[in-house]
This record gives sequence, structure tokens and C-alpha cells, in this order.
Amino acid sequence: MRILVVEDDEIAAEYVRKGLMEAGHVVDLAGDGELGLEMVKAADYDALILDRMLPKRDGLSVLAAMREDGDATPVLILSALGEVDHRVEGLRAGGDDYLAKPYSFAELLARVEAIGRRSDPTAAVTKLKVGDLEMDLLARTVRRGEENILLQPREFRLLECLMRNAGRVVTRTMLLEKVWDYHFDPQTNVIDVHISRLRSKIDKSFDHALLHTVRGAGYRLQV
Amino acid sequence: MIAQLKRMFHSTVFRLSIVAAALFVASSFVVLGYIYYATVTTQLSAIDQDITVELADFQTAFDAGGPNAVNQVVVLKIIDPSQRSFYFYQNLNDAPTTNLESQPLPDKPRGPNETITFNSEIRDRATGKGTGVFHRARGQYQVLAPASVIFVARDTEFIMSASERLRRALMIAMGIALALGLASGVYVSRSFTRRIDSFNKLATDIRAGDFSRRAPVTGSGDELDDLADHLNGMLDHIDRLMSAMRYAGDSIAHDLRSPLTRLRTTLEATAVQVKDPQAVDALHRAADNASELLQTFESVLRIARLEAGDRRELLIDLDPKPLMDDLAELYEPSCEDAGLSLSWNIESGTHIAADRGLLSQAVSNLLENAIKYTPRGGEINLGLIKNRDGRVEISVTDTGIGIPQEQRQRVKERFVRLEQSRSKAGSGLGLSLVQAIADLHRATFALGDGAIMDKNNNTAGLRAALIFPRKRR
Repeated sequence: MRILVVEDDEIAAEYVRKGLMEAGHVVDLAGDGELGLEMVKAADYDALILDRMLPKRDGLSVLAAMREDGDATPVLILSALGEVDHRVEGLRAGGDDYLAKPYSFAELLARVEAIGRRSDPTAAVTKLKVGDLEMDLLARTVRRGEENILLQPREFRLLECLMRNAGRVVTRTMLLEKVWDYHFDPQTNVIDVHISRLRSKIDKSFDHALLHTVRGAGYRLQV
Repeated sequence: MIAQLKRMFHSTVFRLSIVAAALFVASSFVVLGYIYYATVTTQLSAIDQDITVELADFQTAFDAGGPNAVNQVVVLKIIDPSQRSFYFYQNLNDAPTTNLESQPLPDKPRGPNETITFNSEIRDRATGKGTGVFHRARGQYQVLAPASVIFVARDTEFIMSASERLRRALMIAMGIALALGLASGVYVSRSFTRRIDSFNKLATDIRAGDFSRRAPVTGSGDELDDLADHLNGMLDHIDRLMSAMRYAGDSIAHDLRSPLTRLRTTLEATAVQVKDPQAVDALHRAADNASELLQTFESVLRIARLEAGDRRELLIDLDPKPLMDDLAELYEPSCEDAGLSLSWNIESGTHIAADRGLLSQAVSNLLENAIKYTPRGGEINLGLIKNRDGRVEISVTDTGIGIPQEQRQRVKERFVRLEQSRSKAGSGLGLSLVQAIADLHRATFALGDGAIMDKNNNTAGLRAALIFPRKRR
């Protein structure tokens, strides 16, 4: 993906650039809001990482100007203001996701890859398939190979989220947000417990595992 | 009402004002009594003196003209229609010359100038007969010569009845003074007790952790206002010291965040690059530790942010039931893994003003605490009820190790961890965050005994409850 990072903290921006490049992305940097807006207009990016507090022009205003121009580039808003109302404000202004500082790089990577791919036309999908694991979104059924797998409603949504992001890391926080619609930090491994239940249903009696734990990041569903 | 009265009788001010009222009544009794005494006795002694002078005149008349001269004067005085005096003159065994109905002279002789008080029947002037009306009178007699006795008396009915009226008036005045004294005692003590009560309430609130409370200053500039000013100054000072300390902690947390984040990013990035599995493992462990530190700092800052501003605008009217159902569902597997059974009684149709994210954070903290501190085989209950006061109460009850009564206030402070929890992971911030969230919601965060009985019928564990304020219409 081609990603533009608009961030005035040079050291932080450099870390992000280096990390994203190592993950195989092409990264441009902009140090202030105006430069960021110009660069977005000039080139076609797959995703934008936008700090909220920027010199010259703040992040939300850059975002508003982009959306007014009809620019639908997915935007991940970064902010030191982690409270719920700021998140709501950011998403309402047209952001696709919101990440509060300090974030772990793994979280940033997972989220930016998730929104980058979101621009693909996936809306009409009624069936998801990863390897021999199939999910029918209309009939609400899951089967792996020849075997039907019975899932609780929440497990179904958990698996759906992982399948929609197949091949990419999904962090615990992302799961909590997308599957449970919670925006808080559990201090314990509450998500891991749910994952391990799901894993015992979809992986246990099969010779190769689909649901992988990515150390220090989250989970990935992959053949 | 009765308890209130009892309290009032016990109040120092009430007792003092009763004493003051009693002293006031006693002193006015003395003053008024003196006025009464002086008025009446002065008039009476003037009368006595007058009589003495008149008797001396009779003596002079007797010495000059004998019994006849005296008789003549007495007759003249008796027939004077404006006469308000009584006379009695008897010489030897003659018929007495008198306007008295009865003989007032004492059986035994008395000393000269001795006053005799008696009731005299008033004679009708026209008929010379008694009218049956008795007036009080006082008089003296004088022996002018052996067997020649003159008695002169004055009608004192007017003075006596006036003095009686005065006495009655004074008694009534005294009664009114006593009643007023009592009433003002009650009033003063009530208003004073109310102000003292406001100080007591202040102390209780401050001890309960509400540091925003201040003593009321009425503006009257009295000693209680001075006391309130001093107390408020002292509280401001303590508040400043506390916030300085907190600020120091918050700034440390804030300033260490960026370098720690970079440290973690470096560790994570390096873990991806190196191939040696042992090194990868070590790097991940180090990154995890950095994450934990960051999370602690994040919690500190989060509490600080919640405490710093009034964020009431975040709250929306919501039914917490779906949230509680979800949380029960979210944590049930964790409970099961920890060998605990999770039950819930979640009422529907309750409404509170809350922020969904903050509320779920608070309840999840309580649930995670319960899971952490309840041994295998225990029970946890998540409750959402409308309690007896009509307030919505969200509670987490467990059969765990509990918190000793005397520590329950302390554990809500930052970084406080009890001896028995040292062995478990944690930062000592979970309950502080719950407290901060409760404060934002104007809810009470109460820690009590677990309602679940253990095998020996003792209450075991802990009940943590968020009690929300009744909604204002």
C-alpha cells in the first residue's frame, strides 16, 4: 500500500515510516497539515495516517477539506486525546478509524492495513472463505471441509471479523471494538479466552491450524 | 421529631440559651419586684406619715381644748363629703364619734405609730348605714389622755388594688419574658446547630473523599464565619498539596510515555528482524513489560483526565441492561477458565445517565478484580437492580478473599495494593479508575461484604456496587 503519514513529531514519524516500510508499504511523510493536504491532493494514496494536532492546519480540518473535495482515501486518525468523545468527533469528521497515543506499532499496522483494504468493494459479499473454512453470512452457517461447525452468535461474529481480515493481523483491541463494540482496555486476557474457544471449534479436530496467534500483536486467520 | 428534640436538648447552645433565659427572667424579676415594692411601699409610708402628722394635730387640739375640741374636729372631718379617711374618737365611756362601722382597735395595746391594717365597711353617706362594700384601710391610734383614744385611718383600697393590678401585670410580663427566652433559645440553638451540623457534614464528606466541599460562609463575619474561612483555607492548602503531588505523578507519567512508546516500538521492530528464537522471545517479553508500564501510565493519566474536568456532557440517558448482558457474556468464559461460576440478575427497564465506554470500563475492572481475587470453585454475581431507594445499582459480588472493613476506603486511592494482593499482577489503579468514573457519574462507589454465604454461614467475599443518583425529572 502507498501510505501518507502526516505527523509533526519527526522521531515518531520516522519510527512509523520505518515500521511500515518493513511491513512492505511505501511511505511518504508530511510534517504539517497544509503540506499533508497538498500531498493528498497531488498523489493517490491507499491510506492516510493523520495526527490530530498538527502545525498550520489541524488534523480534523485537513480531513474535512479532503472529504469536501470528494477524496475518499481511508484515514486513520492518531491522537493524544484518547477519550471517547474525541473518538466520536474524529469518526464523525470522516475518519475511518481512530487510534489513541501511545499506541503499539503492531496496533497501528493492523489498523491501517484494515482500513486500506476497506476501500475494496466488499459490501455485497455473502460468503467468506479461508482455505477449507467457509462462512455463509446469510444462512449464518460455518463449515470446514465436510464438517458443519456450530457457533454461538458472538463466536460467529468473532470469526466473521477474522475472516474478513484474513491474512492480516487483527489486534485484541480491534476485536473488542468490532465484535463487542467496546472501547475500553480490559486488564486481562478476556479476548484470548474467547479466541481459544473459537479455536477449539474450528481448528482442534483438523490437521492444520487456521487461527494463528501473532506474538505482541494479535491474531491472524491464514491458510 | 422526637430525636430532633432530644438532640436539641443535648446541644450546648440550647442549654446555654436556657441558662441565659433563666438569668434574664431572674434579673428582670428582681428589677420589676423592686419597682413594685418601691411604688407601693412609698405610697403606704407616705400615708402612714400623714396619719402620724394628723394624730399630732389632734394631740395639740386636745392639749389646747380638751376632748370637746377633738370631738369637734372629728365631726367636721367626718361630715366633709370628700373625706376618704376614717376616724374614731372615744373619750371615757362616751359614745364614740366615728365613721367606722366596726371597732378596729386591737385588744391589746400596741406601741405608738404602729400601723393597723383592716377591712372597713363603707358607709352610705346619705343613710349612714353600711353598704356591705369593704375597703382595705390602714390606720394608727393615739392615746391623747388616759381613756381618751383617737384612731385615724385612710382608705387604701385604691392603692392596694392598683398594686395588685401591677403585680398581676408583672407576673404576666415575667411569663412572657420566660416564653420569649425559651423561644429565642430554641431558635438560636437551632440556627447555630444547623451551622455546626454543616461543619460536621463537611468533615464527613471530606473524609469520604469529596475534596471539593467547603464550609459555608454566611457573610455575617461572626466567629463561625472566621472558623469556616480558616477551615476552607486549610482545605484549599491540603487540596493544593494533594494536586501538586498528583500533578507530579501525572507529569512523570506523561513525560515517560513517549520514550517508553519508542522503546516498545524499537523492541517490536527488532523482534521482527532477528532470527534467533531466544532473542525474539526476550525482545517480546521486554516489549510486553514496556506495554504494561505504558498501560499503568495510561491509567494514571486517564484517572487524572477524569478527575480534572467536569465531563458530564459525555453522559447520555441509557438502559444499562444490554451493556450488562454483553459484559456477562464477555466475561463468562474467563470465569469458567478460572473455575468460577458467573451468575447475573439483570433487571430490565432501568435508566441512568452514563457513558457507555466508561461504564463498561468500570464494570469490567470490578469483574476482573472479582475473577482475580476469588479462589477456584467460587461464585461471582453481576447485578443490575433498582434498589429500595429507587436508585439504580450495578454490583459485582464475589466469594473471594474480600477487603477488610478498615481498608475499603484506602483501596480506592491510587497505587494502593493490599498485602494479600501483592502476589497478583496489577498496578493498584483499577479501583481508583472505578472511583473516578463513579465520581463523573455522580454515583456512589461502595464496597461491602459479599452477600454470598460460605459453608460456615459467614459472609465471604466482596460486594462492589455503583449506586447511581436518582434521575431528576
